[in-house]
Amino acid sequence: MDARERYFWDLTGYLVVRNVLTAEELNACNAAVDHCMDRMLQGPDNGGTQGRSNSLQGTGQQTLPNLLELPHPHCEPFRRLLVHPQVVCRLNTMCGKGFRHDHGPWVSYSPKGTEGLILHGAGEPHRPYVAYHHQNGQFHCAGVTVTWQLADCKAGDGGFACVPGSHKAKFPMPAGVRSCDEPLDVVHQPALKAGDVIFFMDGAQTHGTLPWQGEAPRRSALYKYSSRTATRGGVSIELAEPEVYWDEAIVEGMTPEQRAVMYGPCSSIAQKLHLQVDADGNVVLGK
Amino acid sequence: MDKHLYTVSEEEKYYFDLRGYLVVRNALTAEEVSECNAAIDHFADQISAYPDSLARGSSALQGTTSRQQLSGMLGWPAPYREPFRRLLVHPTVVSRLNEFSGPGFRLDHGPLLISATEGTEGHYLHGAGEPFSPATWYHQQNGKIYCRGITVAWQLTDCNPGDGGFAVIPGSHKTCEPTPPEIRSLAEYGELVVQPAMRTGDVLFFAETATHGTLPWKGKTQRRSVLYKYASRGAARATGKYFTPQARYGAWTDELTPEEQAVLYGPGVHQKGLPLLESDGQKTSIAEG
Repeated sequence: MDARERYFWDLTGYLVVRNVLTAEELNACNAAVDHCMDRMLQGPDNGGTQGRSNSLQGTGQQTLPNLLELPHPHCEPFRRLLVHPQVVCRLNTMCGKGFRHDHGPWVSYSPKGTEGLILHGAGEPHRPYVAYHHQNGQFHCAGVTVTWQLADCKAGDGGFACVPGSHKAKFPMPAGVRSCDEPLDVVHQPALKAGDVIFFMDGAQTHGTLPWQGEAPRRSALYKYSSRTATRGGVSIELAEPEVYWDEAIVEGMTPEQRAVMYGPCSSIAQKLHLQVDADGNVVLGK
Repeated sequence: MDKHLYTVSEEEKYYFDLRGYLVVRNALTAEEVSECNAAIDHFADQISAYPDSLARGSSALQGTTSRQQLSGMLGWPAPYREPFRRLLVHPTVVSRLNEFSGPGFRLDHGPLLISATEGTEGHYLHGAGEPFSPATWYHQQNGKIYCRGITVAWQLTDCNPGDGGFAVIPGSHKTCEPTPPEIRSLAEYGELVVQPAMRTGDVLFFAETATHGTLPWKGKTQRRSVLYKYASRGAARATGKYFTPQARYGAWTDELTPEEQAVLYGPGVHQKGLPLLESDGQKTSIAEG
């Protein structure tokens, strides 16, 4: 990761590296997707807009999950991408040594007319498990998504979009930017070619997806990485249950409030674990 | 219960942000303290000496004996575990950790009794804002505190001025320059180090990022402090039972190369020997050493 890439990454919150995959690697990935079309999950129409956007509406998103566990030989090209040299050398700089794969990978597959995904993530409010920090010349990004482009994504096609610089925002994102209904000219959709790879700060940077308008389907494989001590989801969700995470004797017979602080690390289950102290000084689980 | 025990004041937030620690007085009743001490007395035969020297060669921290410690309280048979389980989500803790670590905070590891008798050695000062530690990062933004690693230390005996025990460099959770080793060993600038006086039943909160350690124990009575190590919801220091790729994902990960397996380990840093990756842009390999 040279000085130009470091500057671009710190300034914008994303980075595109061009022509990383060979034609052979691309073919292997796309052949796997073609072979596994019956495993594709179909999302509901407008599930990605959550009823909060007019600009992002369309047909439901399609995803091919569990790429590392596809039947042989189709898992193999995706397993090689997991620690591709061009990924490892950059994630060691972006996240720090010992970075880990948190969840994914999956392929986002979008025929023409597929809806977008409402913009999410930002520097404000601060989210420790995906936050971006820069100190004494070193990056510390807790969450980075690596998206491999398996097909072209021309300017205006839609697909991945972000708000450059938003990982340093200190004011809440306006609703019109989130929905892209009033994007204030801050939303950017990078043009990408098959074989390119994009890195973006997942959660620290404002990002999402624009409706797909390309004639050929969008094909992107997403790998969600974390720094060594950050945890968001994936298998951590099922391993977080107190009775799973700790030895049985430790948590046996605990009250619901005590169990709440015994869940293993996993940011995506925070909502149900919110303890509060009521007006009488009693600790209760929040609604 | 006195309302101040479960309500965080603006002064407390100011103090914690400024100093990196906070003492809440009289959080435990005499009965609660007695229950904890009685349970510890019951398991006194399991108290063990820390196997290595924590003074790390510091003449200012040396002593004649090692730190004594005891763990496993939450899994003790009833009724001995009950007082420690109540401390786990004590209103004084929940109210402060919601403010300091955020809703959904979790116990990362512990609790651990730290005990000392007169002459027990100190603990080399550790932690700081620089170098940056993602696992315990202290951050403040738009009026909110985000402390990823925070320790809650319940005082089961008195700790008078000059007794020793917990010591901290106030403000060090925000340092941007490396801490000189002479300061960590207390060889120089000892005036930077504060040893808060605490009474039985007080509870101490400190940011793990703050430079902290222990002064040699000079008290005539035994030191007893029970430490609970909390983290914000998505942060992990302890590695837990499901750390290896095989434990987390299953046997199919045996098919993967060592490099592929390296990124499927669970979160946390409390385990040595984790394979680290390196790449020259052409080839990915496991880093040596």
